[in-house]
Amino acid sequence: MNKDGFWSPYLAGAGLGLTLLASFIIAGQGLGASRAFTVVAGTAMNTLAPVYTATLTYLSKYLERSIFQDWTFLEVAGLFAGALAGVLISRGFKVRLDRGAAMSTGTRVMTALGGGIMLGFASRLARGCTSGVALTGGAQFALGGWVFVIAMFASGFLFAAFFRRLWS
Amino acid sequence: MSAPFELSDMVNLAAAGGIGLFFGFFLERGGMGDPHKLTGVFYRTDFGVPKMMFTAILVAATGLCLLADLNVLDMSRVWIIPTFLWPQLVGGALFGLGFLVSGYCPGTAVAGLASGRMDALITMIGVGCGALIFSVFYPAMEGFYKTGDMGQATLPELLHVNHWVLLTFVYVFAGFMFYVMERYERRGEPLKMKKAVHAAA
Repeated sequence: MNKDGFWSPYLAGAGLGLTLLASFIIAGQGLGASRAFTVVAGTAMNTLAPVYTATLTYLSKYLERSIFQDWTFLEVAGLFAGALAGVLISRGFKVRLDRGAAMSTGTRVMTALGGGIMLGFASRLARGCTSGVALTGGAQFALGGWVFVIAMFASGFLFAAFFRRLWS
Repeated sequence: MSAPFELSDMVNLAAAGGIGLFFGFFLERGGMGDPHKLTGVFYRTDFGVPKMMFTAILVAATGLCLLADLNVLDMSRVWIIPTFLWPQLVGGALFGLGFLVSGYCPGTAVAGLASGRMDALITMIGVGCGALIFSVFYPAMEGFYKTGDMGQATLPELLHVNHWVLLTFVYVFAGFMFYVMERYERRGEPLKMKKAVHAAA
């Protein structure tokens, strides 16, 4: 246990790696996350504006099945439950708006939303996110996975130099 | 018996939920629901993200190499992440910026919400909106989206080396990286303590 109340990242990482390996063995595919967001948002949009949504060719492959028959959606639902179990055993649950020390509430709402939009757009362009492309592709030695990991860290470091007061 | 298992649809979907449980539990216990810890790597104050990520990649990659060579796992039936070089390079860079600004990535935002963080919920709404914006502008970007198509390219294939050679290289690289990070964090500790005392006062 680390002094911040979390496990050592090596121990948690080993658990995560075994989970990923189990996913390959059991389901024949790695982990994922961003697909679930596309399926849920696409389904919501299809309910509200079915005629317009039908014209969006990219979304059609995410609307073929109900969200409750979507592998990644169910995996992310499990993710929520598993994380909640971790939070409850460590008594870490607290409703709050978490933000950097120098961030106002309004700024935090904008960074959370704006950053989220970038994540959603970028993970569609890259065909997945940290789970689906970086972890899964990284473990498979897939070229795209390693390209994504390097681009992500390089960009994060670069922009952190410009946005020093965001989190530090 | 050779994996991956041929599961019925129902069993495979139930397995997804079970795999997700462990996924979320380890993410949260590693501190990956905390945006301060998640962005620490970019400010060189906390290297939890790369430590956890590369440990997970090494463990899973070692398992894959071993199980494939023992013919326990049929890699031809495992879905390999396809490579689209340029979209993944640009997407990765934009993703890094979104990660820094929001303090989360899509999966870790779910872990953040589970710990009661409402900012994580806002980020999750943003991720959904971002996916929809992509879908709306897809016709204009379809050309770029499909550039650099290299199929299911893997590094051992491209470099003509055995996967154990590459794995050894990744072990050495990650080991060196972990060593540097541990040294850096230890050196930075007095400074962090001073900051914490300052913030508390």
